[in-house]
Amino acid sequence: MSAHDLTQKHKLLECIQCGMCTGVCPVSKKTNLNVRNYMREAAVYGELPRHPENELWSCTTCATCEARCPKEIKPYEFLIDIRGSDVEAGKIATTLRDALESVFKNGNPWGRIRSKRTEWTQDLAVKHYAKDMDFLYFVGCTPAYDPRAQEVAKSFVTCLEKAGISFGILGTEENCCGNEVYGMGEKGLFEHLAEANQKLFRKYDLKQLVTSCPHSYHTFKNRYETRNFEVNHHTQLLANLIDEERLAFQKKLGKKIIYHDPCFLGKQNNIYDEPRKIIESLPDVELLEFDRSRERSLCCEGGGGRMWIDIPGPRLAEARVQEAIDYGAQILAVACPFCLSTFEDAVKTAGVEDQIQIKDVAELLSQTL
Amino acid sequence: MTEFEPVIIGLTCNWCAYAGADLAGTSKIQYPPNIRIIRVMCTGRIEPEFIFDAFRMGADGVLIGGCHLGDCHYQEGNYKTALRVSITREVLKSLGIEPERVRLEWISASEGKKFSETVKSFIEEIRRLGPNPLKGAPEA
Amino acid sequence: MQIVWTSTLHSYMPIFVSFLHPLQQSQFLFYCCLISLSSLHAGKALNRPILRFQSSSWVRTVSRTGKSRGPEEPRIGVFICHCGSNIADIVDVKEVVDFASKFPNVVFAVDERYVCSEPGQALIRENIRKHKLNRVIVASCSPRMHETTFRKALEAEGLNPFLLEITNLREQCSWVHMHEPRKATQKAKVLVASAIAKATLLEPLTPMKFSVTPAALVIGGGIAGIQASLDLANIGFKVHLVEKTPSIGGHMAQLDKTFPTLDCSACILTPKMVDVSRHPNITLWSYSEVESISGFIGNFKATIVEKARYINKSLCTGCGTCASKCPVKTIPNEFDLGLGTRSVAYIPFPQAVPLIYTIDKENCLYFTKGVCRVCEKTCPFKAVDFNQQDKKVEIEVGTIVIATGYDLFDANRKPEYGYKQYKNVLTNLEFERLISAAGPTGGQLVRPSDGRAPKKIAFVQCIGSRDILTNPYCSRVCCMASVKQAHQAKEKYPDAKVFVFYIDLRTFGKGYEEFLWRVQEEGVNLVRGKVAEIYRKPKDENLTVLFEDTLLGQTREMDFDMVILAAGLEPRVDAQQIQKALKLSMSPDSFFLEAHPKLRPVETHIAGVYLCGCAQGPKDIPDVVAQASAAASQASIPLIQGEVVSEPTIAYVDKELCCSCKICESVCVYDAIEADETDEEKRAKVNEALCVGCGSCAAACPARAITMYGFTKEQISKQLAALLTEPT
Ligand SMILES: Cc1cc2nc3c(=O)[nH]c(=O)nc-3n(C[C@H](O)[C@H](O)[C@H](O)COP(=O)(O)OP(=O)(O)OC[C@H]3O[C@@H](n4cnc5c(N)ncnc54)[C@H](O)[C@@H]3O)c2cc1C
Ligand code: SF4
Ligand code: SF4
Ligand code: SF4
Ligand code: SF4
Ligand code: FES
Repeated sequence: MSAHDLTQKHKLLECIQCGMCTGVCPVSKKTNLNVRNYMREAAVYGELPRHPENELWSCTTCATCEARCPKEIKPYEFLIDIRGSDVEAGKIATTLRDALESVFKNGNPWGRIRSKRTEWTQDLAVKHYAKDMDFLYFVGCTPAYDPRAQEVAKSFVTCLEKAGISFGILGTEENCCGNEVYGMGEKGLFEHLAEANQKLFRKYDLKQLVTSCPHSYHTFKNRYETRNFEVNHHTQLLANLIDEERLAFQKKLGKKIIYHDPCFLGKQNNIYDEPRKIIESLPDVELLEFDRSRERSLCCEGGGGRMWIDIPGPRLAEARVQEAIDYGAQILAVACPFCLSTFEDAVKTAGVEDQIQIKDVAELLSQTL
Repeated sequence: MTEFEPVIIGLTCNWCAYAGADLAGTSKIQYPPNIRIIRVMCTGRIEPEFIFDAFRMGADGVLIGGCHLGDCHYQEGNYKTALRVSITREVLKSLGIEPERVRLEWISASEGKKFSETVKSFIEEIRRLGPNPLKGAPEA
Repeated sequence: MQIVWTSTLHSYMPIFVSFLHPLQQSQFLFYCCLISLSSLHAGKALNRPILRFQSSSWVRTVSRTGKSRGPEEPRIGVFICHCGSNIADIVDVKEVVDFASKFPNVVFAVDERYVCSEPGQALIRENIRKHKLNRVIVASCSPRMHETTFRKALEAEGLNPFLLEITNLREQCSWVHMHEPRKATQKAKVLVASAIAKATLLEPLTPMKFSVTPAALVIGGGIAGIQASLDLANIGFKVHLVEKTPSIGGHMAQLDKTFPTLDCSACILTPKMVDVSRHPNITLWSYSEVESISGFIGNFKATIVEKARYINKSLCTGCGTCASKCPVKTIPNEFDLGLGTRSVAYIPFPQAVPLIYTIDKENCLYFTKGVCRVCEKTCPFKAVDFNQQDKKVEIEVGTIVIATGYDLFDANRKPEYGYKQYKNVLTNLEFERLISAAGPTGGQLVRPSDGRAPKKIAFVQCIGSRDILTNPYCSRVCCMASVKQAHQAKEKYPDAKVFVFYIDLRTFGKGYEEFLWRVQEEGVNLVRGKVAEIYRKPKDENLTVLFEDTLLGQTREMDFDMVILAAGLEPRVDAQQIQKALKLSMSPDSFFLEAHPKLRPVETHIAGVYLCGCAQGPKDIPDVVAQASAAASQASIPLIQGEVVSEPTIAYVDKELCCSCKICESVCVYDAIEADETDEEKRAKVNEALCVGCGSCAAACPARAITMYGFTKEQISKQLAALLTEPT
């Protein structure tokens, strides 16, 4: 797309150059990514911004810029389009290219083969989804393949079983949801995935879907064109089950827990209360709050393809973990596999394993049952 | 055969759409002469019957122009019109007159450009639809 | 079978129904009902069935009123304007003259270079005399341009000015079809034919005259209402000034100093407040509200509710004994925005006008717990009266001025700034109270968290303003207010670091830019970039401000120990109550809408009602005062004239046809058409003074009993026929 087309598409000329987007951007200090400047170059001078790759690819698509913009402009969508032209021209990091290729070939960005998608269910009796079931659990690529995130999937399954919910998974039929692919600018591949998934959902006459990943939640909810099924995040479903008293707590936790709002769940979909409700209802816990929480939560730098490209510089996840420790938290609770992974890394690099643990809300819940 | 030239009746309120049409004039924004405007104080004055009369007398399309919702000089005239027009369209449909032949647009006094664009696109649409199917029907 | 038939489509029915298949016919009837019902507001039902046109001979050819229209046989004169070359270069004017002269009732047709000029008007007058014209058509520019000019020409010849019809050959013909002269000429002919068609049905209309009550009502006692009241009272009219709170003064009373001259707000305001209380022509209704308003220009009736203060206003001397003896002294003072406290018996601020104490019933021990009455026992003047009731008073006025002011934007709606969450984040209005010598800290500018003097202060602009998510408009006063406050902060603490974060600094007024320069010289730092977020490090009340310096293109974080949010100005939450009572229009930003943004800035669409101050939109005090004086002057015009005339292009009900269905009553938002209670059959009647001529009722009347003068069904129908006949 030309600078002119992008200007039209993203209404860039309406920008009043207030600087909120860049000011709030979690990565702008680290890499000099200045999304306002980028847009200004395109809109005023008709030039497509040419900046170091590290800048363009540092955007985590957290969408805080959109949330703050007083003119309802979506700066990160503009960046995604710029990325798109780089992807088309093949000018991207090899790690990114590999991830995209893997999605195309195997239906996941982790370079793993399709038949291993259900490996995590080995010791469990998880059924394949059938039409008469209440919920489809859409596992997602990271919980399916990443050993740490697999624990979340297993915990969630435990919770569902204890509550007596009828559910199934799509097994090796399941495809990448495409959210990260979209964020990397490969919109053609995204459309392809969206179509394949929708076809699959139609085949099973899907009514209710639950996912433990905010990224796929967001994509199903807001980016898929036709959606005649309901999407739930696992925290919504679990909070509901607690409300309906379908889960019996057996064990005490005895911990101070601080909760981190994932960008794709909070800022982008306004789900703030359910995860907190779950934590608060756990026996013997104290829920702490970050100063920057809810709409003002800090990004963990896990989104927008950042899992597949390393951007040097200080990591926000490390600052966040340190902050959690300063608050006196023993557990930093998350509700997203990417947050889980970035924070686990941060804990290891900082060597604070003995001070704080990273846990998904579903893991905490299943521990008490 | 000469090309079909639609005849469009415009019914516009004095405060917004008529003023918008005037602005198109002062700004010399050109549009085809197929439209002929009747000015009323508010679109709320427009009776469905005016629209039926226009079609009965041979108009190919009727363009109703009023203030943006919330901007009506008389508070709610345009809301009433919106409702009346949508039902009028239903009646027209049941009579075999394409409901697209009635168009309702909110055009403010500062939207000269929008006025001319609306007229142009409406003329094109009517051209596609062809002449008023009632043309030549017996007068009552 | 009796059908409850409520259609506006009856006349069209005989024409179409005959084409229909029986099945379609019933569907059609259903739609017709719907169309009529669409005119109805919910809740109002028809009170009886209407069945007026059983016979098939009921067809729309006769004039519904049965009256013959117009004075006599039409003798039409057509004047076609060249408008220099504006029309004549495109439209073949001569051809149009020829075309017009062939119409049966046209006795004279001519073209002229400029019909609006003196010679042009003389030409009209001369030919009215010469040809005994009784209808005049001018084919020229838009009727929105010269209608009054030409009407005057008719009047000069003793012809009723409403026997004029203007058709628009310039804005809607020659100027928009410049490259198609042939087609433009054909269109011009059709337009003239349509004017002729309408002209034959024009009738003389006479405006009504009403006498005027020589008094005015001013709603809102901020600086706007104060100024308007004083002006009206000084002209010599009786003024009722109604203020909702216990004292007049409004927001200006809360300010410390005012930009750009830095006069002390109280010093310039209080003398005016006192003038109000002393003026023999002003009746001040404080702690009062307008409950309802009826009537029309010259003859409004308003019901004022004077709320009970539980203190007798004629006995209270303002000594303050009640307040000092009252045991409950910890009520957050609204006037200080909760930064200070007051007693249950209170005045909002020391210079309050009127100087009468008020007992806040909700917090009073006697009212809540049934014990105490200390104030009653101690008041030296026996002014406390726990049995006082709200009092209703009805007043009559000729004109009304709305001066209800604004609300400050609620900064809580922008969670990114942590307002109310962080103690040291304050709004600009709170800053005014903090720095005011009469304020809760006695003028000490200190951090609410620890009472320390701030060393580093940030002013954050555009809170809630210039933002699609909240208020898209610019609030106009906050830039200057922050610059002023930055100066005040520097004045108190010359060593403090003061930053103003802005998108654009708008210093447009007289002396404003110069003031900004002065403040820059004093060492205030200006940063271009709206603050994106404020947060607090754990265990510290200091604030980290996150922003991009857009001139450097750098994102930065800076620590401050106090942040002032420049909250914008918003329409009052309760503005709708006044809007509904007076049927005023609001602009898209929800402030009251003026009749014309440039040419009628203080009038409203409702005759006799005027606007001033921030009720009409954000503005600073110089503008408020100027506008208030303008509104007072406009509001005095009808009072001075002593009588008002109304536009005659209004609705008229033909009683013979009215079937008392009350549909018109339910569609008229102005309550201008109502069942005539004096009429046996309760048929509708138009209140000529209230009707604004929108025509909604005429479009809805199922019995076609309503004539809209100037836009009758017959006129429009004839116009349609002419517009749809191809000219030869
Ligand atoms: C922080 C801040 C600083 C400012 N500093 C300056 C400055 O230095 N210089 C300057 O020129 N301007 C300044 N302004 C602007 C100034 O406050 C306004 O221009 C001015 O006060 C507006 O006056 P007003 O009478 O229109 O409205 P208001 O002051 O709001 O008065 C309206 C009055 O009407 C009453 N009222 C409302 N509704 C009703 C009702 N239904 N019935 C009866 N009464 C009603 C209210 O109680 C109130 O008393 C500042 C504004 C702010 C927010
Ligand atoms: S989406 Fe997040 S990381 Fe990307 S530009 Fe916007 S604020 Fe920055
Ligand atoms: S926040 Fe919006 S208006 Fe402000 S600079 Fe960014 S894109 Fe432009
Ligand atoms: S009754 Fe008591 S509490 Fe109430 S105002 Fe009087 S002294 Fe105060
Ligand atoms: S024309 Fe007059 S009476 Fe009829 S609805 Fe309008 S204001 Fe009311
Ligand atoms: S005045 Fe324009 S629609 Fe009512």
